[in-house]
Amino acid sequence: MTATQFDIGSPALNFVIGHAMPDPYATDRLLPEGRSPSLADHLARLGAMPRATSAQLAQLLEAAGLLGRGGAGFPTGRKVAAVAAAVAARRLPGVVVANCCEGDPTSLKDRVLVERSPHLVIDGALHAAEALGADRVVLAVHDDSPARFTLVAALLERPQTSCEVTVVEVPDRYIASEATALVRYLNSGDARPAGRLVPIWETGVGGRPTLVANAETLAQLALIARFGPAWFGAIGTPAEPGTCLVTVGGAVRRPGVVEVAHGTPLASVLGRAGAPSTGWALLGGLAGRWVDLSATAGVGFSTAELAAAGGSRGVGSIVVLPPGGCVLGETARILRYHADAGARQCGPCMFGLPAIAADMTALGSGDRGALDRLRRRLPVINGRGGCGHPDGAVALAASALAVVTTREGGHLHQHLTGGRCQAPPFVVPLDVAPAPRAATPRRPAGSAFIDSRGRRS
Amino acid sequence: MDTQILWFASRATGAVSLVLFTAVMVLGILTAGRAGVAAFPRAAVLRLHRTLSLTAMAFLVVHIVSAIADGYVDLNYWDVIIPFGAGWDPFWIGLGSVAVDLMIAIGITSALRRHLSPTLWRAVHFSAYAMWPLALLHGWGNSGGDGQETWMIAIDVVCVAAVLASLAYRLRPDRHPDSLARRTAKVVHPVRDIGGDR
Repeated sequence: MTATQFDIGSPALNFVIGHAMPDPYATDRLLPEGRSPSLADHLARLGAMPRATSAQLAQLLEAAGLLGRGGAGFPTGRKVAAVAAAVAARRLPGVVVANCCEGDPTSLKDRVLVERSPHLVIDGALHAAEALGADRVVLAVHDDSPARFTLVAALLERPQTSCEVTVVEVPDRYIASEATALVRYLNSGDARPAGRLVPIWETGVGGRPTLVANAETLAQLALIARFGPAWFGAIGTPAEPGTCLVTVGGAVRRPGVVEVAHGTPLASVLGRAGAPSTGWALLGGLAGRWVDLSATAGVGFSTAELAAAGGSRGVGSIVVLPPGGCVLGETARILRYHADAGARQCGPCMFGLPAIAADMTALGSGDRGALDRLRRRLPVINGRGGCGHPDGAVALAASALAVVTTREGGHLHQHLTGGRCQAPPFVVPLDVAPAPRAATPRRPAGSAFIDSRGRRS
Repeated sequence: MDTQILWFASRATGAVSLVLFTAVMVLGILTAGRAGVAAFPRAAVLRLHRTLSLTAMAFLVVHIVSAIADGYVDLNYWDVIIPFGAGWDPFWIGLGSVAVDLMIAIGITSALRRHLSPTLWRAVHFSAYAMWPLALLHGWGNSGGDGQETWMIAIDVVCVAAVLASLAYRLRPDRHPDSLARRTAKVVHPVRDIGGDR
């Protein structure tokens, strides 16, 4: 494990006191315009972090309606309350893990967030740690990710705390940053999901109650802790207040990460990336759903609205297929990726995922029987894994099956009758190949990410 | 009561125990080797292994109790678990005591398996490979029984052959598709040495 440790010992002295609140109606809360990621700029914009007890923090988060941004959308207030209860019951200091890994290759939001606002993420992690009586904070990033330098530099800028803060590199594999896999990795070096028998909020890192939260979740937590639920909810929907980060990619003119208020119509989210609101798009990442953008242009971007429209918020990514893009072919690729990425610790992962990946590929090669096999297999795989990995693949496959047998029925007919698929090249990014490291094609060093205004940086 | 009955009972149950423990060994080795056919699947092999082990223990209890209760030879209940201290044939009786100790350890760890680490359970379970030959030698070398009779030696030979045959099956190169898939998983998800005190 590569870890950079900061043992910092005296309290902060130079926080700005009595800071004015930023404009609650602006949508550049996480990715501020015209600001450097330095601590000075960060404090000048947002002021000092207040202190809170775990009960106060849980209550604030509950009032703000914050849902986790790592993909599952679990209410963060409930998570904090669970860790706090375990800390109180077991009389052990807790541990906070900020998950900045972003295992889903369709999403760039945490990468952009850490580059642009590292201090906001660290604020959130340290604030949660203080509230939970935690003495250890782990900032988990992927191997060789530029985020590790950003985070280390940010930590060096900060005043000292009584918490041990480490930046830990985690294998850049899809399932390695699942919460239980992260905890298991930190404990043993084995980055495979550990199942749900031992809850990590009670027995996590070092056997202690552990809060694992996504980087964006912690950044939002830092804003809620500073300015309160009323400020937080000035924009967004009543069910899901505030802003969120969305990665728009695929066949779009300005791929990148945008910050939008919850409830912003899909069409205007896409418009910010120069994307059309027609054609098929993969919503929510590799465990997401296929939606027809022309039918969902008016749907608001929030967990509930997207789910009601047959989509999925997931990791908050949208991959737009080019006109004529082949949902069947893309899904077969993604399912193969899921099958290869699996830890093969339980049946659904070991047998189920390779089977449905093969079925989807066979369907694309004209095997009509694959339809029945998929319909039989998907329900028996769902909900049976030790982690959610198989369920995500099943949801994607089911969504693709619904699309290709109805709206794209004509295209499926071409596949089944041996006609050539005329679709343009595949666009869903699967760049972190789940293969041995030596054979892993790495993202080119210094590859640009694109900011909320489409600027390369 | 004619005490001869107890003596014969002890000798008979000893021989039966050996045969049963041999079957338990063979089934255990086959379980580890993922043996199973459609008519008798792997789960059935495992279940029979467990059930027969309890049956074998029951016969062993009769074997021990009848030998001590018979009173013809100088044995007491401490000799069952403390080896090499018996007043009669201490070495060969002692081998049986060691086997009993190992069997108790295997039985207890298996009963508590859910609460133990797999590594610990496995390590203790491995001692069956010591327990079974010790039990066999105890039967062969013990004076006063049937150990040196031709028919008993024939049983011993069959038992040894059965265990060796199942071991050969167990140690064959594992080409089971599940094993191959799991081996792939270890390449794809290597465990890192994270060192330190974490």
